[in-house]
Amino acid sequence: MLVHSRKGRWAVWAVFLVLFVPLFALPLLVVLGASFATHWSGVLPSGLTTAHYRSATRGEALQALTTSLVTALTASLLALAAGAWAALAGAALNKRHRRILDALFVLPVAVPSVVVGLSVLVAFSKPPMLLNGTRWIVILAHTVLVTAFAHQSVSAAITRLDPAYEQVAASLGARPGYVLWRVRLPLLLPSLTAAAGLCIALSMGELSATMMLYPPDWTPLPVLIYAATDRGALFTGSAVAVVLMAATLFTLFAVSRIGAKASYR
Amino acid sequence: MPRRLLWAMPPVALLALFFLYPLALVVQQSLQPDSGGTSVQPYADVFASEAFRHALWTTVWLALASTAGCMVLGLLLALVIAFVPFPGAKAVARFVDVFLSFPSFLITLALLFIYGSVGMANGLWTDITGAADGPFQFLTTPWGVLLAEVTYFTPFVMRPLLAAFSQLDTAQLEAAGSLGARAPRIVRQVILPEALPALAAGGSLVLVLCLNEFGIVLFTGAKGVTTLPMLVYSKAILESDYSGACVVAVVNVLISVGLYGLYRVVSRRAGA
Amino acid sequence: MGIRFDSVTVAYDGNVVLDSLDLTVEPGEVMALLGPSGSGKTTALRAVAGFVRPASGRVLLGDRDVTDLPPHRRGIGMVVQQYALFPHMRVHENVAFGLKARKTPKGEIRGRVAEALEMTGMAGYARRFPRELSGGQQQRVAIARALAIRPSVLLLDEPLSALDAQLRSGMLAELSRLHRELPGVSMLYVTHDQVEALTLADRIAVMDAARLQQCGTPRELYREPKSEFTASFVGGANLLPVTVVSGGVDFAGTELKADTRGAVAGARATLCVRPHLVGLGEGPNRIVGTVTEIQWRGATHRLYAEAGGHTLMADLRELKNPPALGDRVMLHFAPDDAVLLPAGVTHA
Repeated sequence: MLVHSRKGRWAVWAVFLVLFVPLFALPLLVVLGASFATHWSGVLPSGLTTAHYRSATRGEALQALTTSLVTALTASLLALAAGAWAALAGAALNKRHRRILDALFVLPVAVPSVVVGLSVLVAFSKPPMLLNGTRWIVILAHTVLVTAFAHQSVSAAITRLDPAYEQVAASLGARPGYVLWRVRLPLLLPSLTAAAGLCIALSMGELSATMMLYPPDWTPLPVLIYAATDRGALFTGSAVAVVLMAATLFTLFAVSRIGAKASYR
Repeated sequence: MPRRLLWAMPPVALLALFFLYPLALVVQQSLQPDSGGTSVQPYADVFASEAFRHALWTTVWLALASTAGCMVLGLLLALVIAFVPFPGAKAVARFVDVFLSFPSFLITLALLFIYGSVGMANGLWTDITGAADGPFQFLTTPWGVLLAEVTYFTPFVMRPLLAAFSQLDTAQLEAAGSLGARAPRIVRQVILPEALPALAAGGSLVLVLCLNEFGIVLFTGAKGVTTLPMLVYSKAILESDYSGACVVAVVNVLISVGLYGLYRVVSRRAGA
Repeated sequence: MGIRFDSVTVAYDGNVVLDSLDLTVEPGEVMALLGPSGSGKTTALRAVAGFVRPASGRVLLGDRDVTDLPPHRRGIGMVVQQYALFPHMRVHENVAFGLKARKTPKGEIRGRVAEALEMTGMAGYARRFPRELSGGQQQRVAIARALAIRPSVLLLDEPLSALDAQLRSGMLAELSRLHRELPGVSMLYVTHDQVEALTLADRIAVMDAARLQQCGTPRELYREPKSEFTASFVGGANLLPVTVVSGGVDFAGTELKADTRGAVAGARATLCVRPHLVGLGEGPNRIVGTVTEIQWRGATHRLYAEAGGHTLMADLRELKNPPALGDRVMLHFAPDDAVLLPAGVTHA
């Protein structure tokens, strides 16, 4: 413990609370509060109602929720497959090649999402790969954006993995494919599910590239939230935002449960 | 080609097709003005425009200021959580993780309710003083974006710091404390040198993310606050000026990728 | 099946970590590779397993050149320091792993797993997960897993160093028993612990600085070390810098009798004497010294005495009246108990 005097500690905690609560806790509480209100021009929201949720869980909003979930799950699975493949293949390469591969796969983190959206728009708006106007262009952009994160977390997990496991497995007569399937992937499973969770969360909240690409029949939740606030419907927007947060947390929870269940049983 | 290299090819091919090739097309398009042919004219046009120079300046100073804010705040909060723990400190650390999984624009949405022209803070002010308007009118200025970015990105600094702090040998701190060193001195001489790589790595990541941030700026909805990503969006989608959008995109990518390269070097040094 | 290293050299990024090793492990023999860390002993083991590729030279298992064979086609059992049990598999699945990987018929697997677990005394733990076992139990399972494939070569890489002292001596006895029960299996046992090597091995190969220093039976190494390194690493020794004279050696002005066959008069050499062979009082080879330190070790006293600018160690049966610090004492040893070694680069 760094601060020993009781007074000092309370002072430090007070400063912490003064900074932490208004900056981090308040915003989420405010969105939650607003989603149940019709007015907010004082300290507390007023005109309590659940009407926003009624509209946020049906029709257009419900469809946006499905859109977001389908996009996030598809993009994350694709990204995880590509990212994990690249990370596993990279682990077998020599240092120089691995560095090149790593640099290539982290590039999408550095490139602004808006630019990824723009580039996908430019590339896939003409034959032979005419994806513009379909849901696939949104899923594609999300996949590109989250692949980098999937690759990064899986390769970090691979470097942490004790090489003794695969070496012992090989010495026992297991071919590389068998070692991958029976030893390395099961040992990586916790990291894979964590990576999947990260990808899903990122994709569920993705707005930048989506704004450039979404076709009218494939509107994810963030776009709907923006549309609502843009036309001044802040309270409805808040309700949809709460639905988005809840859906994200629920999916993360479900994924982590799968991970915990599958690993080490 | 050796077999190991062959195995790396499928994902690289996919990346090339869906990421590198489109990016190359952006560069190509940035060199093709609407009038046809290939020239650097689009660059000259964009660089000459007041809007671009303004956006470039806004992007850079906002990113730098946000990063500085995040680093100071993140360090402070992480120090308290790690070294002056209170009941529930673990839960707070958990909350920070959850915070990271939400989209950035939620912060702007929340700030609208707190500091908006008819929001909480101004409502409180007008109720108490009876004035017609509240004093908090900064939300549609760059300061609003700054506040939102500091709020949203501070956890990105806290997370690597908390990880680094948990590796720190507490015996070292106790030894320093038993030798009579006071808290600020221990922080400066024992904790900071150990945490510096993590702080630098977190800071550079936040710098890149701030340079690329779009959701917060879009939700702020202010005409006066235009950043490079916002300019790309408005040129491409609202004005359908693709070559102009591509020029801005190339500039934005160069700045971000350059800085991200720096981040990778720093974090590799830090062993992160 | 025997193991043969034929001038095996291994280098990482231009650093030679194993320098042209020539060594043969006979079928059924236990060979210990003994040396400090960085001596190249683990590299030698990894070259047999196939995890490092020699820059030059060949590795043979029996008559088969396996230098270019991938690890999974070498048919070797291996046990490592941290056990490396697969944490997501139960004990019986761990033991069955090698058999399944080799597509052994299902009916046979069950029997072989039971047999291997029986042999290591782990039959009652088949349904446990590795994390539910103690360190010693985990190591037994790791050994069972390696034995289940009935290898003719077993590689053991510091298998006991993660265990505490008491468990270690128990496991050492177990390994000796296993070796007796499996007379056909050659074992290559890498360790930095001389007790393990002396207890278990038929022969010991002492490694230092990427090179093989000496190879022989434990008794040979102890009685007739060929270098200062071997002498001090195996058993510990007084290493006295001496000059060869006719019929003996000169140590700091004191003439001592020693077997000087093969040495030229006037040459510098090192005289090696084991501490427990040094006695207190009058005797044939006498050295007078000043006591600088005396330690009681239960059954013995370890006495340190300064003589001729060097410290001599003597392990003496427990003394009734041990000398005090600063006392001048007379130490002696039999000429037969001293071994003359070529002078090392530096004197200890």
